[in-house]
Amino acid sequence: MHGFVHSIETMGLVDGPGTRTIFFLQGCPLRCAYCHNPDTQRRGGGQLLTPEEVLKTVERYRSYYGEEGGVTFSGGEPLLQGEFLHACLQILKREGYNTCVDTSGFGDPRYYRRILPLVDTLLLDVKAFDRASFAELTAVDGFAAYMNFLTDLEENGFRGQIWVRHVMVPGFTDNEESMRRFIELIRPIWKRVDRIEILPYHTSGVEKYARLGLPYRLEGVEPMDKQKAKELEVYANKIFAQGLREERQAYAEKKQEKFTQGRDKAASDLGRSALLSVLRGLPLFGDLAEEDVEDVLQQVILADIKEGEYIFKTGDPPEFMYLIYQGQMKIFVNTMDGEEQIFYIYRDGDFVGGLNLLVQTPYRYIGQALTDCKVVVIPKAAFDKYFYDSPVVLRSVLVKSFERIRWAEDLIQRLATSNASMKTAGLLLKLAKRIGQETQEGIRLELSMNREELGNYSGLRRETITRKLGEFKELGYIELVGNKVIIIKDLEALESYVL
Amino acid sequence: MRENLFGRPEMARAWEGFKPGRWCETIDVRDFIQSNYTPYYGDEGFLAEPTARTASLWSRVNDLIQEEVRNKTIKVDLERFSGIDNFPPGYIDQDKEIIVGLQTDEPLKRIMNPYGGFRMLKNSLDAYGLQMDPEMEARFNEYRKTHNQGVFDAYTQEMRKVRSAGLLTGLPDAYGRGRIIGDYRRVALYGVDYLKERREQDKANLTGPATEEIIRLREEMTEQIRALEAMKSMAAKYGFDIGRPAQNAQEAVQWLYFAYLAAVKENNGAAMSLGRNTAFLDIYIERDLQRGILDEQAAQELVDQLVIKLRLVRHLRTPEYDELFAGDPTWVTEAIGGMGEDGRPLVTKTAYRFLHTLTNLGTSPEPNMTVLWSTELPRSFKEYCAAMSIKTASIQYENDDLMRPIYGDDYAIACCVSAMRVGKDMQFFGARANLAKALLYAINGGYDELKRDKNTGAPVQVLPGIERNTQEVLDYETVLASFKQVMDQLAEVYVNTMNTIHYMHDKYAYEAGQMALHDPHVHRYIAFGLAGLSIAADSLSAIKYAKVKPIRDEYGIAVDFEVEGEFPRYGNDDDRVDQIAVEINQYFMEALRRHPAYRGAEHTLSLLTITSNVVYGQKTGATPDGRKKGEPFAPGANPMNGADKLGALASLNSVAKLPYRQVNQDGISNTFTIVPSALGKNMAERVTNLTNIMDGYFGRGAFHLNVNVLDRELLLDAMEHPEKYPNLTIRVSGYAVRFNRLKREHQLDVINRTFHEAV
Repeated sequence: MHGFVHSIETMGLVDGPGTRTIFFLQGCPLRCAYCHNPDTQRRGGGQLLTPEEVLKTVERYRSYYGEEGGVTFSGGEPLLQGEFLHACLQILKREGYNTCVDTSGFGDPRYYRRILPLVDTLLLDVKAFDRASFAELTAVDGFAAYMNFLTDLEENGFRGQIWVRHVMVPGFTDNEESMRRFIELIRPIWKRVDRIEILPYHTSGVEKYARLGLPYRLEGVEPMDKQKAKELEVYANKIFAQGLREERQAYAEKKQEKFTQGRDKAASDLGRSALLSVLRGLPLFGDLAEEDVEDVLQQVILADIKEGEYIFKTGDPPEFMYLIYQGQMKIFVNTMDGEEQIFYIYRDGDFVGGLNLLVQTPYRYIGQALTDCKVVVIPKAAFDKYFYDSPVVLRSVLVKSFERIRWAEDLIQRLATSNASMKTAGLLLKLAKRIGQETQEGIRLELSMNREELGNYSGLRRETITRKLGEFKELGYIELVGNKVIIIKDLEALESYVL
Repeated sequence: MRENLFGRPEMARAWEGFKPGRWCETIDVRDFIQSNYTPYYGDEGFLAEPTARTASLWSRVNDLIQEEVRNKTIKVDLERFSGIDNFPPGYIDQDKEIIVGLQTDEPLKRIMNPYGGFRMLKNSLDAYGLQMDPEMEARFNEYRKTHNQGVFDAYTQEMRKVRSAGLLTGLPDAYGRGRIIGDYRRVALYGVDYLKERREQDKANLTGPATEEIIRLREEMTEQIRALEAMKSMAAKYGFDIGRPAQNAQEAVQWLYFAYLAAVKENNGAAMSLGRNTAFLDIYIERDLQRGILDEQAAQELVDQLVIKLRLVRHLRTPEYDELFAGDPTWVTEAIGGMGEDGRPLVTKTAYRFLHTLTNLGTSPEPNMTVLWSTELPRSFKEYCAAMSIKTASIQYENDDLMRPIYGDDYAIACCVSAMRVGKDMQFFGARANLAKALLYAINGGYDELKRDKNTGAPVQVLPGIERNTQEVLDYETVLASFKQVMDQLAEVYVNTMNTIHYMHDKYAYEAGQMALHDPHVHRYIAFGLAGLSIAADSLSAIKYAKVKPIRDEYGIAVDFEVEGEFPRYGNDDDRVDQIAVEINQYFMEALRRHPAYRGAEHTLSLLTITSNVVYGQKTGATPDGRKKGEPFAPGANPMNGADKLGALASLNSVAKLPYRQVNQDGISNTFTIVPSALGKNMAERVTNLTNIMDGYFGRGAFHLNVNVLDRELLLDAMEHPEKYPNLTIRVSGYAVRFNRLKREHQLDVINRTFHEAV
């Protein structure tokens, strides 16, 4: 089997994380007005390569990849050569390479289900924000198809992260309103977005049109001002963070409502005093004062969960801790081939979610009632107030959760969602709480850890955390002073990622 | 039983708190370092800003440097010749100087050194409208002979021919050869008195029949002893007794600097490296920090002030020399970092302090900061270096993992890329042969493609006995066979020429001060060089894989080439051509080795052009790879401009294939320029990416990398508005220059060279 490869760039440092070898595949169904590689549009032609030759090439550059780098397929539209791309990714994944596909979402759909699970980072081009502009820009009436590509990513087995990119042309989308529409448009994939980039339109590809005898539709349009593009990129990220926050809040409210519905019934069944004694009997409440237990009781929700109902799902934000005092619940994930992998069965007296609240990580697994359950749901606010600093709680959460959840996490790490923005923001907030000093410039964190340790602490690689910190700095959320001092300039923005 | 020097009162005082070892019984600086240094694994967070006094001193010095460049005038001491103790003490601003000593009595005042070549000195003075004391001139010429005269007395016709045709260029036959690194640390650790005592013993030990070799050694050692005395007397004029060892960090820096200063008062060699000093000095600084007599700012100040002095080193050169090398390069090369043989990094806080002078004092080409890169170095140090490269474009990197197995862990770099064990090895420097021209000789039957007889206009034959190629389409095997013949002849005349030069240099311009700071019996390298490897490889590849038709003039000389079809070019990680580069390189090295070298020296070969790639281009006709007559060569071992089609890492991989050990063991220079935005989206990413690139490149066994992170637009702007960028520094082959001091054609060459940009 052969692929048509337009060219190879051995030192790609801006198309996906780290150092990457980029294969530009030949052929693209779109005819974007600003395309700076019109010579890659034609299908076929270029250099013929087999997947084995691709592997042989990248082996020569593996020593440069570091922790995050690897191989990127760009184009053209790489998804167009679906069979070849799939074969390449399969071989590369087998050899442990990090993979990245740079796409506009217009390929050969027959292969999506096989390709997408093998992609670590998707560089997703967002051309335009409505049907008319999309058609005008790309010369293809494909906006609906594009949106389907977006919405179906998850269903097609994509489990990686997404870098969303938009080429900004002066006079087209260089305004805040466009940025709001941009972020809204990518709502279906928010959970997987690791980076939002605005690429300023440039004219360095124009002479290729003359050479190829093609008309250039953006004749006379000036290159996009880089500074302005940067500002709008910051703005788009801000909107995105805000959106995340609102979505999470809405979710939490909805869930709370659901639990509350069952509350009256459960409470009346058991009676307040009985509930109180149940709670007091739990070691978790051991060092709470009498009146505090009362107060907690005011805030907890007593929920009846029916057999088969979900308590939480993969990717849910950490909003509650759950205490099971009657019934059984299973903790599992769905593996890539559709199997259910159960880790635990929790029963009376067990609790789950404490660690997630402590370290602000979303659930990586699914909790489902095996039998009818009675569950005490402790909201984040109550947890933060009474348990966050309680040594007894911390110890029991740690002792109880750590071993079990940790190995479970390791096991499912490859399958689970991981969002570096969330983790990094979570870490910064945690540090702010612990060692942050209020200063004029912001919250000052004097670190005793180096990047590697920071990474280990938050479950990220050193290069990833370095990259995320650099990115947050660019977005104006933080300031870096040397290696050991971080100043948080925009606490709210960081909170948006982790709330 | 050796004497334990700790028993001597002056040693006991100076060495208090140091861990004793073999170094207390004999001169062994490496052992002192290994026994006493503290590796540093942390990051740059501890570094201090310059003190007000140092900042003000630097500002004064910077003004002087800029003024000299602006006015295009220089100052020269016209009443004295070079020598360790020939000049009265000089100061910049005595109250602010905590490290003192200048080459002459004034900053930037240059020394007349007649011993390498009198004509060169005279031309230099003439160019600036200066005149030396007429009586000195008369006396010198009446009673003294120079290295240059000696060489030309002994040159053969053949040597003169290859030299004037430009087949061999840059030979050190009219100026100081340089590339010798004294172990300046010895003065600080042991004091001059002990060094002298030991050299007297060494001389007494030279017994046996009075052969030429023994006689010469005795004479040289006596010269060395005199040089040590002169060093002591020179320092005494500044009020210091360097007869005894240094007792604290300030003295250690000062003693070391005096030793180096003696070298640059005595010699004007092209490259006068400093050695490898940061771990050594760190031991003294650490001890003073422990004792509480130094704090971080004071420690940094010592290093800042040393570096200010190093930035002031100047030699008297002709304006043509300055043009060729872009300014006043002195190659005060300091090797930083690397790993110890026991697996501990030789990175100390003072390694950071040294690099930090680029922040405290701003960027500068000198001293030539050379980081010895090992994949084993602490990550924080690697990232700090990468960040400094991105900010200053003033650092070069060389592969410690390649050099350590050969030289151990106490070697330094002479000039740009030449490794030698400090105080144990020396080098006979020998410029380079033009391999692209040599290939043309293979086609043109030993005739030069450009040179014409002044009277008849006929071509000039430089090498005899080579058959002229008359093929319509060049055949690879035929050309390769002739090329090997040319290389054989060239190697022979090259070795013989170098032997002649270094015999005369030892005789008429011996570096007694520097050799006094070596072991009594040194290992000698003789360093040959090649320019135009990428052209030769691409040309042979064109002949092999495409159709190359020579266009010949009426004398049958190929003056241009017609190339039909595609051929692989060096720089794309393509073994078909990369192996050609490796093989011709190896062939030439073996050819050199067949001819014995002066004083039993070991042959080595470099791929390094400095900035002379432009001049080589001007002096070389069109080549079969499609390069036109007069077009510049690629610098060092770089692929030709625009030859690499697969991006920078493929190019790095090609260069990484060139064999260091036993072949290009005098160094393989590679310059890498990248646009900041292509290196990563923000500083953090750029640092990570650059670090990983270097780890990847050196992990593949590559030898050297010059790193420039620059925008082409910035350089274009600097060309038009030099005043806006007085200190803009860039790395060129093996060293750094101020961009503004490059000639316009060099500036254009740099700008036209491959910048790796985002796709």
